[in-house]
Amino acid sequence: MPEQPLALTLLGMVVVGTPLALVGLLGGTSVLDRRLGERATATAVALVTSLALLATVGVFVLMLGWDTRHVVLNLGEWVHLDGEGPTYHFAVKFVFDRLSVPFVALTLVLCGTIGAFANRYMHRERGYNRFFFLYSLFLAGMLYASLAGTIETLFAGWELVGLSSALLVGFFHERPAPVANGLRVWTVYRVADAALLLAAVVLHHSSGGGDLDQLTGYREVAGVSPLELPSWPFGSCALPAGQALLVGLLLLVAAAGKSALVPFSGWLPRAMEGPTPSSAVFYGALSVHLGAYLLLRVSPVLEASLPLAVVVVVLGLTTALFAALAGSVQTDIKSALSFASLTQVGLIVAEIGLGLRYVALVHLLGHACLRTLQFLRAPTLLQDFQKLENAIGDRLPRPATSWVAALPAAGRVWLYRFALERGYLDAALDRVVVGPFVRVFRWWDGLEQRATASLAGEKSSQEEPPVPVVEVEHAR
Amino acid sequence: MQSTDSPSTDSGPDGRSRLRHAIDHAAHYLPAQGPINVFIHHNTLHAFEHLPFDDAVRQGTTKFGCQPYLSEERYRGEVARGRIRFDDLRDVLAEDLGGRAGDSLVGLATRADLRLAMLEHPVWAGSIAELLWYIAEADALTRVRAGVSAAARGRLLTETRRWVMRDLRAGRSRPAWAAALLAKFGVSRIEGWKEAMWEAVALEALWCVCRDSVRGLPPPPPAPPPARHRDLLLAVAAFDPDLGVHEVLIPLCAAFLDQGMSHWPLPERERGLYQAFLTLRRRGGPAAGWLRGLQREAARLQDEEVSPFDCILESLAALGVAEAEWDEYLSGALLPLRGWAGMIHQVEERGDRVPHPVPKGSLVEFVAVRLLLDRLAAAHAARAEVGYNGPLTGLRDELRARLADAVSTPEQRAFPVFQLAQALGWSPVELHALTPGEWALLVGEVEAFSEVERRRVFHLAYERRFTAQVLDGLALHARQKPADRPAFQVVTCIDEREESFRRHLEEAAPACETFGAAGFFGVAMYYRGSGDAHFVPLCPIVIRPTHWVEERALAASSEQNGHRARARRALGATAHQFHVGTRTFALGALLTAGVGVLATVPLVARVLFPRLAARVRRWLGRFVDGNGHTELRLDGFSVEEMTDIAERLLRDVGLTTTFAPLVVVLGHGSHSLNNPHESAYNCGACGGAVGEANARAIAQMLNDPRIRQTLVARGLAIPADTVFVGGVHNTCNETVKFADVQRVPASHQGRFDECRAAIEVALARNAHERARRFDSAPLSLSLDGARQHVAARAEDLAQMRPELGHATNAACVVGRRERTRGLYLDRRAFLVSYDPTRDTADAAVLARILGAVVPVCAGIALEYYFSHVDSAGYGCGTKLPHNITAMLGVMDGPASDLRTGLPWQMVEIHEPLRLLFVIEATEAAVRAVLARDEALAGLFRNGWVRLAILGPEAEEVREYRGGEFVVYQPQAAHLPRADSSLDWYRGWRDHLDFAEIASPTGS
Repeated sequence: MPEQPLALTLLGMVVVGTPLALVGLLGGTSVLDRRLGERATATAVALVTSLALLATVGVFVLMLGWDTRHVVLNLGEWVHLDGEGPTYHFAVKFVFDRLSVPFVALTLVLCGTIGAFANRYMHRERGYNRFFFLYSLFLAGMLYASLAGTIETLFAGWELVGLSSALLVGFFHERPAPVANGLRVWTVYRVADAALLLAAVVLHHSSGGGDLDQLTGYREVAGVSPLELPSWPFGSCALPAGQALLVGLLLLVAAAGKSALVPFSGWLPRAMEGPTPSSAVFYGALSVHLGAYLLLRVSPVLEASLPLAVVVVVLGLTTALFAALAGSVQTDIKSALSFASLTQVGLIVAEIGLGLRYVALVHLLGHACLRTLQFLRAPTLLQDFQKLENAIGDRLPRPATSWVAALPAAGRVWLYRFALERGYLDAALDRVVVGPFVRVFRWWDGLEQRATASLAGEKSSQEEPPVPVVEVEHAR
Repeated sequence: MQSTDSPSTDSGPDGRSRLRHAIDHAAHYLPAQGPINVFIHHNTLHAFEHLPFDDAVRQGTTKFGCQPYLSEERYRGEVARGRIRFDDLRDVLAEDLGGRAGDSLVGLATRADLRLAMLEHPVWAGSIAELLWYIAEADALTRVRAGVSAAARGRLLTETRRWVMRDLRAGRSRPAWAAALLAKFGVSRIEGWKEAMWEAVALEALWCVCRDSVRGLPPPPPAPPPARHRDLLLAVAAFDPDLGVHEVLIPLCAAFLDQGMSHWPLPERERGLYQAFLTLRRRGGPAAGWLRGLQREAARLQDEEVSPFDCILESLAALGVAEAEWDEYLSGALLPLRGWAGMIHQVEERGDRVPHPVPKGSLVEFVAVRLLLDRLAAAHAARAEVGYNGPLTGLRDELRARLADAVSTPEQRAFPVFQLAQALGWSPVELHALTPGEWALLVGEVEAFSEVERRRVFHLAYERRFTAQVLDGLALHARQKPADRPAFQVVTCIDEREESFRRHLEEAAPACETFGAAGFFGVAMYYRGSGDAHFVPLCPIVIRPTHWVEERALAASSEQNGHRARARRALGATAHQFHVGTRTFALGALLTAGVGVLATVPLVARVLFPRLAARVRRWLGRFVDGNGHTELRLDGFSVEEMTDIAERLLRDVGLTTTFAPLVVVLGHGSHSLNNPHESAYNCGACGGAVGEANARAIAQMLNDPRIRQTLVARGLAIPADTVFVGGVHNTCNETVKFADVQRVPASHQGRFDECRAAIEVALARNAHERARRFDSAPLSLSLDGARQHVAARAEDLAQMRPELGHATNAACVVGRRERTRGLYLDRRAFLVSYDPTRDTADAAVLARILGAVVPVCAGIALEYYFSHVDSAGYGCGTKLPHNITAMLGVMDGPASDLRTGLPWQMVEIHEPLRLLFVIEATEAAVRAVLARDEALAGLFRNGWVRLAILGPEAEEVREYRGGEFVVYQPQAAHLPRADSSLDWYRGWRDHLDFAEIASPTGS
């Protein structure tokens, strides 16, 4: 195989390196208590996003020019065990291909725009530095997750996205509701992350490495030009059907958590606690698509296992229907938009399940752009409606929900409540997952307390540990 | 629920009417803010307006848990930077205490000295754990606190040393702690103790004396336990049942009030909140644990046709709330979601202001639903969180019994005395000699000057400095007036934002004259512009207009306008379809996948290049906007009515002679993007709308020959060569748009062009002066740069502060412009034109001016005051997480109470002061007005706004204090001078002192 041109590697390094530099800059100055001013922060953000975007475009142009469809940036193997059995390695690797390049470009365009927006929006806010530090974490996480060539790299980016998202939901931590909702988002993300981690373990167990190539079918073959090699979306999965199903299901759970698919949908509207730009870019546009992106990335796996594909389609359609229903009764603009987002994300997932990969990609890109614009304009809704009313010359018509009228009255009320309570999904998760989980751990905790008490020779009538008291003001 | 048998005692018509009364009473405390698209400024504490201001803010603290004044730290910061002067603090304190100031307190200090020391040195207050830590770990007992004078410190050390050496060591009259103290420091080497050691000994002795002496005092009475079950549960079990209740109530209220946000309205909304809720809840569906009983209860309430009133009575009885505490308990139940409850109340009362009104009695239904949920939540929490299985009626007694007494410990009460003793140089030996009775007196005196009291005094000093500034300015300012017939005259709104505009206009065109009148100019009407869908009221909220006015396209252009209107309609319908479509299933997929990527164009353009994007949008808009000439149809008004309006305006502002050839009347408004609170920046006198049509209408009336003729008969002769032109001043992007310019006669064209040019200059300078307050605008901006800057703010989606609104309001001057012309008032004063020399003998003009202006200005000032002193409680907090709900208001994030009041970004730079009215009139005239208008007199008497008068003849100023007009002695000898406004403000961001601007016409 011919050497990959150096220019491509360098540009790739720029895309991967600049966000990390931004994290280091914003985080480092904060840690040293030498915070950057607003202007310096804005300049740094603009510089990094435009540099990275230019580099991405450069990569794209060069890939076209050299007719390369798969550029790998290998930062080395961090663990490599050669044994008698299968080799085991742990690599940090980034891949530029027909899937990741558009998604990275989208991420950079939206993040760059939102960065400029937030700079003015957050002006004089006490948490200005914190916001932009979390923003830089998010940006880095998004890029690493979308460029990831191994499941470990993916996991690192995935975690950064999750962490920064949860902290941004709880941005206004002086009120109880954002903190509670941030915690909820964080909890759901934990479940998704656990699934992703399990998938990584299974993958390593079966093949000794976490390279996504095994799932996506890209293999380097000596003497064959890169053009001939099957790259996304034409790869095929190397795993046997059984393992493909297992890994695929675990990845599906991970994607469902991240993209708020049923039954995890409850966190999405709750995430609208942060400042408007973070809601817009993170939950409206980018992070909510990350699950769908993961499924796109591993789409050859879906091909390898029909049952998996069916599950994906069913889950996507269910989510879309549910979100459309729940969205129709929402009375605040951010919740309405978040369910509108979810409707489309569900459809995108279904498209992926059906194997319509390019359709899904185009749908994803278009949806992210449009929804970001709508989120950013959410506060201007009243003026917009006023303008529309003036143009039409009358009150705006309520969108027809004629199919509702066709239902019997009792069913209508039932369905309305189902929609208003968001499908009871949160309550169900609380009961089925959270409750047993907490009980089990409390039981273990009690056991441990008793054990330590007896070891310490104290009386067994140990008092209960004090419950942390959270002062809750009038919920506003 | 356990209480299925309805309680017999309270039901029946009698109980119901008492209940209705109690709910009506509780409703008074709810915010009076209506739908947010019509923002009316009002006194946030309107419910307490009958009380003196200081009492009212304390009531507000009790009732709403909100701050009465700024924090002590903020005031101390103002002292540190010289905004509050120490002398003012002392004077205010002496005035406040009156005869009690000099009383000696147990021979140690006078009351005034003690209080001054408490103002000067922060007095610690906090939890016992924090205090004990502080004493054990910090240097409280080793170093005399910072800020104490060397004399006081020296005295403390010397006296203690003497006491220890002579008495304690010898064991004479030795207090219990002395032995341990001496042992700790090593009494054997006492002669060798260094100064630092003596300092520690003195402090420790002082602390021991204070602690032990306070220990013997009777404890202060404990605060009464809270009435609500929720508050008790929170205090006892750290469990907040409101969280669950609100999770049900907030979506319900939003769905019930929704004015068109959701695509699917609440089923049975027309039957009212209560029935809709019961219908929704009577059928199954999984529910959280505490809600399990609700389904059966809902079915029972509906099947037995229990009315909302009876439901409330049942709940109150079940919760064990006796009738005597209904008032308190019900307001306690309404206030946690006061935004939503208030909005239900507003929409129910003023159904005419929303497209989808709600039935009468909705607030009662809200209470019924709320108490039903409260009852279930309390019952569940009692079992699950408290382990209480008795009847619900007894829950509160049980919780109160478990409630730990929140009485402060002796240490907490002693520590302030310990701190003050250092500041005032009281030695331990003096304090040790005090009897328990004297100690009780001393501690009582310290506790009487509580934190709130200290803040009140700080606030008085804070206001006093500003008052002096205003009164000095007015007393020392030399009158300025154009000598001859003015070249043109401009009438603007009284708005304090127009102060700088008028000043710059007068600086740019010294031959002009300006006036201020309430910005609806007396024309109260429902108005519909040629491109508007609905009529909107353009007048103060207290007036219900009786006239409908429409703007119509003139015949010549009507055909083309017809096409454009149709095009607009088609475009609007498409845009709406698109907006709705993106939120749906199939159409959404088609649109997002098909054209979604195109959204990057407006997205990037509008965020990165807001002004360019705005220009492109306007250019595109030209193709569909009605461009032809239009006219106002004032047919609804009779000539008589229009003459009344015209006469009133002219007499109010004192423009009855010396008419200039050109008189421009400017309404005002503010346009910005991404701003749910946009209406709050508009003209308050026009009910939160733009005053463009009012200015246009009054100009049209004043040009009308029929009206001029009638005016002559009333002794008001407008010269034939005087022309009136209406227009509007956009206070955000600093532009002025004139109406009906084609009607300006050719003879006046030249003059009109001159006037226009002067206005353009004034606008640029005004933009420049405004820009100094924006942190994001460099101080080095040029005039053009400033104008571009403010224009960009208006078009920027990301801009949270398109303009600063009324943030600088602090005073209101009612009088002739010559008294303020050439005085740099820093955009801080509403300017109301009034000529006392042309008023009737009984001050009828003043009476009607004050009757209209005082409530409006007071409402603005007080709303800004409260939204600033407690942004989260009285205001609506920061705008960043705001989320438009039900088309009526904003929430914080996805589910919170509906937030009322002003956002922090609007009030950030505001100085919370009570508005100071300075009226140019005789004392007799003002007294006559106040005697006739009790509502007005009450506002001044109770100190919600402050009052001073400026003698029409002499430069004498009198302050209204405690019912008397006291002569004010100016504190300064002369005012600072500057050649122009620009010279005075350049380089400064903060509020500025008032200065004399040397105008070419002046002196």
